Amino acid sequence: MSVPNIKNILVCCLLGFHSLLLSTANATTVQNFEQVKQNERQNFKIIALAPHIVELLFDIGAGEQIIATGSYADYPEQAKTLPRVGDHSRLQIEKILQLKPDLVIAWKSGNPLEDLDRLQQFGIPVVYSDPKTLEDVGKELLMLGDLTGRQTLAKHRADTYLTQLAKLRHDFANQTPVSVFFEIWPAPLQTIAGNAWPQQHLNTCGAINIFAELDNDYPSVSLEQVISKMPQAIIQPKSNKQSVNKLYNWQKFSFLPAVQHGFIFRPDADKLFRMTTRVLSEVEVLCKQIQQTRRIYQQE
Amino acid sequence: MSKGKWGFLASFSILSILGGLFFGAADLDLLSVLRCMANSCEANVEEVIFWQVRLPRVLVGFLVGAGLAVAGATLQNVYRNPLADPYLFGVVSGAGLGASIATLLFNGSLASHSPIFAYLAQIPFTYALPLAAFLGAFLAVIIVQILSRKLFGNRTEHLLLAGVAVSFMLSALSHFLLFMAEPFAANKVIFWLLGSLANAQMWFVWIMLPIVTISVVLLWLFGRHMDAMLLGDENAQTLGIKVDSLRLLVLIICAALTSCIVAYCGGIGFVGLMIPHIVRGWFGVTSRNLIVGCVLVGGSFLIWIDVIARVVVENQEIPIGIITSAIGSLFFLFALQKNRGR
Repeated sequence: MSVPNIKNILVCCLLGFHSLLLSTANATTVQNFEQVKQNERQNFKIIALAPHIVELLFDIGAGEQIIATGSYADYPEQAKTLPRVGDHSRLQIEKILQLKPDLVIAWKSGNPLEDLDRLQQFGIPVVYSDPKTLEDVGKELLMLGDLTGRQTLAKHRADTYLTQLAKLRHDFANQTPVSVFFEIWPAPLQTIAGNAWPQQHLNTCGAINIFAELDNDYPSVSLEQVISKMPQAIIQPKSNKQSVNKLYNWQKFSFLPAVQHGFIFRPDADKLFRMTTRVLSEVEVLCKQIQQTRRIYQQE
Repeated sequence: MSKGKWGFLASFSILSILGGLFFGAADLDLLSVLRCMANSCEANVEEVIFWQVRLPRVLVGFLVGAGLAVAGATLQNVYRNPLADPYLFGVVSGAGLGASIATLLFNGSLASHSPIFAYLAQIPFTYALPLAAFLGAFLAVIIVQILSRKLFGNRTEHLLLAGVAVSFMLSALSHFLLFMAEPFAANKVIFWLLGSLANAQMWFVWIMLPIVTISVVLLWLFGRHMDAMLLGDENAQTLGIKVDSLRLLVLIICAALTSCIVAYCGGIGFVGLMIPHIVRGWFGVTSRNLIVGCVLVGGSFLIWIDVIARVVVENQEIPIGIITSAIGSLFFLFALQKNRGR
């Protein structure tokens, strides 16, 4: 087993494993931690296992600390050159051990928990990121700032983000509702409901999801259900790599209000689905498109 | 000649175990691995990688391959059916149902609904999943056996058909649960079902070693009885063999063995079907030879398949079940084509 260096011990302190540590580390270590934490944390070698974590770390100026990541991290440009150590199904334990990270930051919902448990057994501190709401992105920034000793910049970023979010909500959330169908997947047709991540975007923009009441967060629905609800707008998020013919072709249903008026919107899926600060710029684009829809329907 | 074959197989198995230790995601060069083998690793990290990650994985690979191959071989002999395989008795679909239930109950997604779910979420998922999968797999075999005995008069072909039917029923239940669950649950269970040795740890070696050894020894001891059954049930009975009891005993041993494997490593298909066919070609149908041959060939086969899974795609691991199924299906098509002319 690798000998836990002083940085590892400090990270453990940081993670709240005080009871565990106090039995092994002496009081001096804990005192030293308070004194040197800033410098130590700014030099932590970090493995960030999800694209949103990588992006947020770059956001707060800690991008240089990332020594490896998972398969799908592609933003910012520097992230593309980082070594890869696994994906959503499996981590390469051997490789991670060889890189000797001071800290692994993982996505609780999207990384294999058994592999992460194993890393912890090997003495590697693992911190979980699990943002569920738009506000959580601000909290994540603060948490990452704390972990990397970059609290000032992180707080600045979080404040800017939360102010922007509040403004969007103020401008759009209470406007006249527009009914929308949000297409996650074309075959079988899959949409969002309940606590799904994009549902918050619709709430922010003052749009009403025609399937908001369903139990499952990402339910499959039938074409008949969609058509019978006559959505005023259809949202088909699309990533840059995705071709338009992979999306459902709604043009054949010309009687739908959304099709009649051409209110089929295709926001950038990479920005919209990733829990980062970039999400707000795309939510703003979406809100403005829905606002335009709202005006046309009000005029009619 | 036969001694030469055994000698070759035994040497190949030892070389496979040693050879498997040289491959992995971490860049351990030849010298480092040799040093670690001599218990004098240069760095702590190398020591952890070699002794706690790589060695358990290779040993588990050997035991899993041996166990699956032996289970397949004995079931094929006692049921006189070349397609008999533990997986046909619903083991994987039962384990899949257990895994699906465990994913829902123990990952905390239902914790807010009731204090019971909140309590269950406290149990480590790493242990809950294999236990639930084992119970599911064993339950599936029991259901198949009861159905076959009570409803279908205990005929072999009906047992296999009951196995297929129960597999579909249990798979439907798992799919329904996953469909209703959070989207990430389906992802987790599907990847688990594709099979992997990535989580192999030394404690699992210590669990698997006695299970595989006891199962293999027991089956080997019944080898001559199984040989008699190859002559047909009536002939075996005239030789004093209790056919039904022996069949049930072999099924229970194989079910327990396979359930343990599937519960920890997921679905690794076709090993139990393919390896016995290869070994029969070398050592004939006699059960004792077949069992020992399957231990050596099955174990070595899975070690090398796992090496492929580890190194063929850079920075990722291919689930091992994908490779065994791909090779197994091609092997069967080839074997069918070869036997066509006979």
